[in-house]
Amino acid sequence: MKELSLNILDIAKNSVKAGADTVEIALTETEDQLEIRISDNGCGMTPEFLASVTDPFTTTRTTRKVGLGIPLFKLASEQTGGTFHIESRDQAAHPKDHGTVTAATFMKNHLDFTPLGDVISSVVTLIQADPDIRWVYTHTMPGKEVRLDTNELKAVLGDVPLNIPEVIAWITDYLREQYETA
Amino acid sequence: MTVQDLISRCHFTPVVLADPEREVSGCYVGDLLSWVMGRAQAGNVWITIMTNVNTVAVGSLADVSAVVLAEGVTLEQPVIDCAEARGVNILSTDLPAYETAVLVHSVI
Repeated sequence: MKELSLNILDIAKNSVKAGADTVEIALTETEDQLEIRISDNGCGMTPEFLASVTDPFTTTRTTRKVGLGIPLFKLASEQTGGTFHIESRDQAAHPKDHGTVTAATFMKNHLDFTPLGDVISSVVTLIQADPDIRWVYTHTMPGKEVRLDTNELKAVLGDVPLNIPEVIAWITDYLREQYETA
Repeated sequence: MTVQDLISRCHFTPVVLADPEREVSGCYVGDLLSWVMGRAQAGNVWITIMTNVNTVAVGSLADVSAVVLAEGVTLEQPVIDCAEARGVNILSTDLPAYETAVLVHSVI
């Protein structure tokens, strides 16, 4: 991926596919490090499947035998000297407390650090495609935090759907303004 | 031209020769795997310096005729095993990527 925002899109789509009703995308930045953490309450994975997800020849797809979403995310972090971690509790074994957390750290000053890119587009694309999911997005930077919780929007909007163009445009502006405010 | 012909004409070292009779057509150079995945054409010789197991996955997905590792980079044994299991041809050369591409172009 040319931008980490595309990896975020890719990993969050796994959460959607896992039937999650809440997905949290948390970015935490320090001076020289970025952590991307995507957590969901979807069906989770069995320990056997979990052990193999960083292998590109593991996939839930039936149309082809190769799945590169997680392997490429892991590679992007490790090529900067960062670390990758994934943990999961599957629904069958943990009926009340299941889901997956995928987290990767990146060393921002490493030459092979992939730029974050247009993360607003990724978040908006996810909301637009699956407006019934509760999306919680936070981006914490030194001295600044960007935050969006679609449940808070729904409380204000009532019956107005999140994925109509006016609301989507508003969400985009709302995020953009938070980034621009010092 | 087959992969076997390419090896003898370019003096590449075979690392994994799963299908020596595979027909070679065209060449693609790139290291950003997700980018290569969408752009390398089936049958291409793909020149790269990436040695992760993901290289084998992309080579298999893009259905390239052979992966050529440039600059003398080497693979770890598990990656070699994986390429063998998936039937992906892997060759190597000490030449840099540009020289490798020029050489491939001159023989195919």
